[in-house]
Formats: sequence, C-alpha cells, structure tokens
Amino acid sequence: MTTLQLKNIVKRYKSQTVLDDLSLDVAGGERLVLFGPSGSGKTVLLRLIAGVIEPDAGRVLIGGEDMTDVDAEHRGIGMAFQNFALFPHMSAFDNIASALTSRKSSKDTIAAGVHKVSKLLKIDHVLSHHPKALSNGQKQRTALARALVGSPPLLLLDDPLRNVDAKLRFEMRLELPRLLAAQGATVIYVTQDYKEAMALGDRIAVMAHGRIRQIGTPAEIYNAPADIEIARLFGDPTINLLEVVPQRGPDGAFVELSDMRLRLPGFGDEIVGKQCVLGLRPETIAFAEAASQGAIPVTVEAETPLNEKTVTLGLTARGREILVSRPAGTPGPVAGPAHIAVDGRTAFLFDKATGRRILPSELASKRNGEAA
Amino acid sequence: MNATALSIENVDKFYGPVDHGVHAVKQLNMDVMKGEIIALLGSSGCGKTSTLRMIAGFEPVSRGTISVAGRQVQTLAPVRRNVAMAFEGYSLYPPLTVRENIAFALKAAKLSQNVVEEKVASIAKLLEIEDILGRYPSSISGGQQQRASLGRALIREADLHLLDEPMGQLEPQLRAVLRGRIKHYIKERGLTAILVTHDQTEANALADRIAVMEGGVLQQFDTPQMIKERPANLFTGTFVGEPPMNVFEASVSGTEGRVAFGLEDGIRLEYPAADFSHAVRDALMKRKNVVLGIRPYSVRRSADGVTGRVAVNQWLGDQTHIAADFAGGTMVLVEHDRTNLEIGQPIGIRLDPGSLHVFDSESGMAISHGEELA
Repeated sequence: MTTLQLKNIVKRYKSQTVLDDLSLDVAGGERLVLFGPSGSGKTVLLRLIAGVIEPDAGRVLIGGEDMTDVDAEHRGIGMAFQNFALFPHMSAFDNIASALTSRKSSKDTIAAGVHKVSKLLKIDHVLSHHPKALSNGQKQRTALARALVGSPPLLLLDDPLRNVDAKLRFEMRLELPRLLAAQGATVIYVTQDYKEAMALGDRIAVMAHGRIRQIGTPAEIYNAPADIEIARLFGDPTINLLEVVPQRGPDGAFVELSDMRLRLPGFGDEIVGKQCVLGLRPETIAFAEAASQGAIPVTVEAETPLNEKTVTLGLTARGREILVSRPAGTPGPVAGPAHIAVDGRTAFLFDKATGRRILPSELASKRNGEAA
Repeated sequence: MNATALSIENVDKFYGPVDHGVHAVKQLNMDVMKGEIIALLGSSGCGKTSTLRMIAGFEPVSRGTISVAGRQVQTLAPVRRNVAMAFEGYSLYPPLTVRENIAFALKAAKLSQNVVEEKVASIAKLLEIEDILGRYPSSISGGQQQRASLGRALIREADLHLLDEPMGQLEPQLRAVLRGRIKHYIKERGLTAILVTHDQTEANALADRIAVMEGGVLQQFDTPQMIKERPANLFTGTFVGEPPMNVFEASVSGTEGRVAFGLEDGIRLEYPAADFSHAVRDALMKRKNVVLGIRPYSVRRSADGVTGRVAVNQWLGDQTHIAADFAGGTMVLVEHDRTNLEIGQPIGIRLDPGSLHVFDSESGMAISHGEELA
C-alpha cells in the first residue's frame, strides 16, 4: 500500500503564503481527512499532491518516490471533486471509462472495470445516461466511480459529498468506508463537515492558515482539542465557551458559574488569576436536582430539538448562555428555573490570550516526564 | 392565545392556466393559531415556497381563501396584509445601512427615537450583527445579510411573521445558539411565525408544528414528536428523521397467538400476538406484504436478537452511528455512547414491537405504530 509524504511544502500566491512549511506523513492504506474552514489551504494542498500545481519549496513523495517534478497523469492518482466535473457530452459509462482510456487498455478490460465499479456504486442501471439525465446523487457516484475505476493506489477526494442532499450524504457516509477499504487505496479526503471527518478519517489533519494545526484520531481531536478554534469546529451543538478567571480554593482551582463554584480537578495555582476560557461540551452537562451538590442554577430560555438530541438554551445568573444537550426522550426542563451539573473533569480550559488549551497540571507534568 | 392567526382554505396554486398549468399546491387546508411557530418542510418543488408566497401576497392564489387574523387577504396587496417578511430576494435596501434597514421596519409604528434605537440594539445583539449596523448591505457577507433581513422582520409587530429559509447561510457554530435565542424571542412576544425550510433540523428545532409537503400535497401537519412517533405515511416517515428511518419489505403471517414478519434472507421476526392490539392484528392479517419501519435510535442490541453483521461503526463525538448488514439491506443503529464494535462482528438486533411502524406496501399509508393502529 502506498505511502504519502509531504516535506516542508511552501506555496505562495503573490505575497500570500497559502501553504506554510507544511509536512505530513500518511501511512499506506490510511484514510486521512483534511479538515478546515474555507481558505485554510486544503484544496491547494490536494491539488499540489495531484501535481496540478507546483510547490515553491518542499518535496512530494508517493510510495517513497519523489514525485515533485512528475506530471499529474504519471503520479497514479485518482481524483473526485465536489462539483462532479463530468463531461456533459459523454454517457456515464464513457465518463467513468475516460479514466482508463489513456492507459491503452483493451475494450473488454475497460468495460469489465467500469461495470464492476458501477455495480459497487449502484449506478450500473444508468451507465448509458448523459450527466444531464442523472440525479445529483448519481452524478456524484459517477464521479466517484471514475476516480475508483483504475484502482489507483492513492485517491484524492475533494469534498465529494458537498453538493448532495442530507439523506444521500448520510447514505454515502456509511457506504464510503466499505468502498474505500475494498479498494485498499490510501485516501486523502477533504471536507468541511466535522461529522464526515470523524466518520471517515483514520486520522484528521485540522488545517488553518496554510498549516496543520492539529493531527490525530477523531477521538484525540474531539477529546483533546489543541485550541479553542478546533474545539469550536467539532461538535453539534457547538462547545460552550465562557470567559473565566480561575480562583484558588481549599481543594484546588475553581471558577464561578451562577455564583457557584465549579472545581477544576487537576488544575493548580498556575491558572489562578489568569484570563481563561472554559470549554464545556453541551453533552457533558446534565440537568440536576436543585438540592444536589454543586448544582448550578440556570434559567431555561428555549428547547430546540436536534435530530436525536434535545438541546436546551439556558442562562446563568449572570446572563451567560449555556447549551445543554441530552438524548431525545430523556426528561428535562422546558422553561423557567432549573439546575445543571457540570463535571469539572470534562471541562477544557483555554488560555484566552493564545487560544491554546491548558493541560491539567498532573497531565502536563506527566507529559514532561515522558519527554524527559 | 386561542385565536386563529392564519387560515388557509381549499387553496390551489397553478402556474399557467387554472386546471391546466403546473399544479404546485393542491387543495391545501391549514389553520395556524396565534403564537404558534409553524415550519413548512419539504424538498424543492414540494409547494412550500409557493404557499409562503401566496400568504405574503407575492403570488395570487388560483382558488381558495387565505385569512390572516380573521380577515380574508388573498386579493390584497402584500403591504395591506400586516405580515412581516424575511425572504430570499426580498432584499435589504441597498442605500440604507443595516441599522437604517432594521429601523425602517418600525417607521409606521411612529415610535420615539430612543425606543427605536433600543429595539434595534437588542435585536442586533440577539443576532450578533452589532458590529455591522453601520455597514451597507453590499459590503457584508451573505450570512450577515440573512441575519439583518431576519432582524428587520422580527423587530416588527405584525399578525404574521413569514421567514424563508431563515438560517440557511449561517455558519454552523452559530446555529444552535441562534435557534434558541430566536425561539425564545418569538415565544416571549407571542408572535406567530411561518418558516419555510428544506432543513428538517431547523424545522424540528424551532417549530411547534411541522407541515410536511410533497408534490404540492400536505402530507402531515403535526407536532415534531407526533411526526416522529406517528408518521402518516412512508414518505413522512422516511423524510423526517436523521438518520433516516430503516425500512424493510416484509410479508405478514399469523399463527395461533403469533404475528410474524418475513424479511429477505429468510429472516423472520416473530412477536406474541398480545404485542399488538386486536385492530392492528386484523389490519395486518388483511395484507400479505407490508413495509416495516424502525427509527435508528429505537433499534436495540441484544444477545437474543436477530444476527446482523457490523459494516460501519462511526463515532461522532456524542453519538455512534452503526450500520449492520441485515436482511439483504442495511440496519442503522444510533447509540448515545461510544461503542467499540469491530467491522464484521456479529451483533444481535432487537426490534421492539412498540417501536415498529408498519406501512401498506402499495399506498404507503401507515397501518400501525407500535401496538396501536395508525
């Protein structure tokens, strides 16, 4: 299986640095998701791997071989884009086959390949149709089939589900892992949808301003985001972010919410008096009895169901907004005064000035110990 | 709060000649109470936007009547209907700043300068557009224009507020909190709002009742909970719900004290007859073939269940989506914890009779939900 290595890639357009000394190692057969807001450099990076654009500096290694100066068509890469990019004057069959014709394969080999991949993608019944007679979903599947048909060892998928409706996107999200695993290809997948990123990526590289801000498994990104922006990009509803200044208590650091103390286990004096941002994922907050220990009073403003969750917007005593989410069908208050329970162990603490996450001191010292 | 805010009676909409043109809305009947939030939900071409435009007065009705606050309005010009609107294409006035655009809506109300400023400031804060109040529409993003237009509509007092895809362009990180704030704002003031959306998440989040439309026909008009628990037909059942409802074709058979459904791959689901009411059993026994539906979050894993094989296991942070090969198709399960299932691993799948939706295989109409007749 083919590996991909990017070494110190730089790409500038005029005075703007689009990719800024970016390095990346992708294992053979891995599915790596490039995730980030628009303008973060994902698509430029993908095109650079494809060989459509050249880097100003740095090397691209595919399967250990330096491909930096090799033409796009000789890199052995399959690609699919968000806008499908099908030839309008060709049937679906010919569109898919177009990926093979440059290789001078025999007619029978081509037909066999097209039929095999079309069956897998459930478009074998529309192969004679031209793109304008295909539904959006079928167009998207045709474009995918074209990318897959030559069994390329490296597959680049640029937000392929962007322009299909929610239902189809969900269907494909379930189907793609099987399809890609069956191909055995190494996959670079670009998306702006965090659910897609978590569902499809073995690892996710979160990009911002031409750099990789964090790279890790979905669990690492979700449970240990490197900074506020990454924490905000993953999760629905979005993580609660509250400005706080931790204080020193008898049993460690705490912050105030609705004039109640929320202990932050693992944090010590290093954060006391510091301008911080507290990050609370909505699903880690629960409604609680007024009398229970540490219960924080809130006023429920509105309940807004979200798929299989119930999301509640509450206000603290100081008028700060807090979103709470719980599985649909479980009991909770609809309006008026209520109490919430927050587990300080699940809270994230960020440095307000830098946006970086502050690790609990125990964890930080353990990490330092490992490093030493 | 019991007054009828909007009444739509026997409304048809044809584009082109009546009875011969394109029949976009068919025999629509709908009553909306004062203080309700209603969502018109459907895919493009379902008739939802035509309906909203007829209420607003942008499109004439071909037949039928529309009453707002008890008065027939279908022949009145839009400005005479006392409705506030946030529409795509009903854009902000380009020569006015965002602040002036929003305040303009209050002009007719003849309020003091102070009150106007206060109201504008408060709606701007709610929609997070305070920092662009001095800007002109052409210099702000699409999402900001959408929020400004929403502000201009919400600030008004009117018999009806009509909102067309009100949050379609907002960045996802803002949506959850804005939904909560807007719902609170509308409820606190007792406004009546009709919103059109193709996004069921938005409809479920905001609406007291949802009108599901397809092919110009109102399929179901009910609370989000009822639509989820008692979908009127296969269309509504599979259209509303994310992830979508699992559906399998099945044959029905009954023996002494048992009800059995035969699925593909020789899979047989057997239930004690007592799990279903008499009426349901009678209705089922009249049919040979049905469609079985079950929502992904109602599917349980259990050792004594029918075996399926895990094909996909996707953890999304606060829930896990599992797809299993089952009865020649795919069964999707949603769990709220993180599950560590291996691909290819067999799991027992239990379909509780109380969670089963049964639909007629020909008409698609619901036969039963759980043990009760539809």
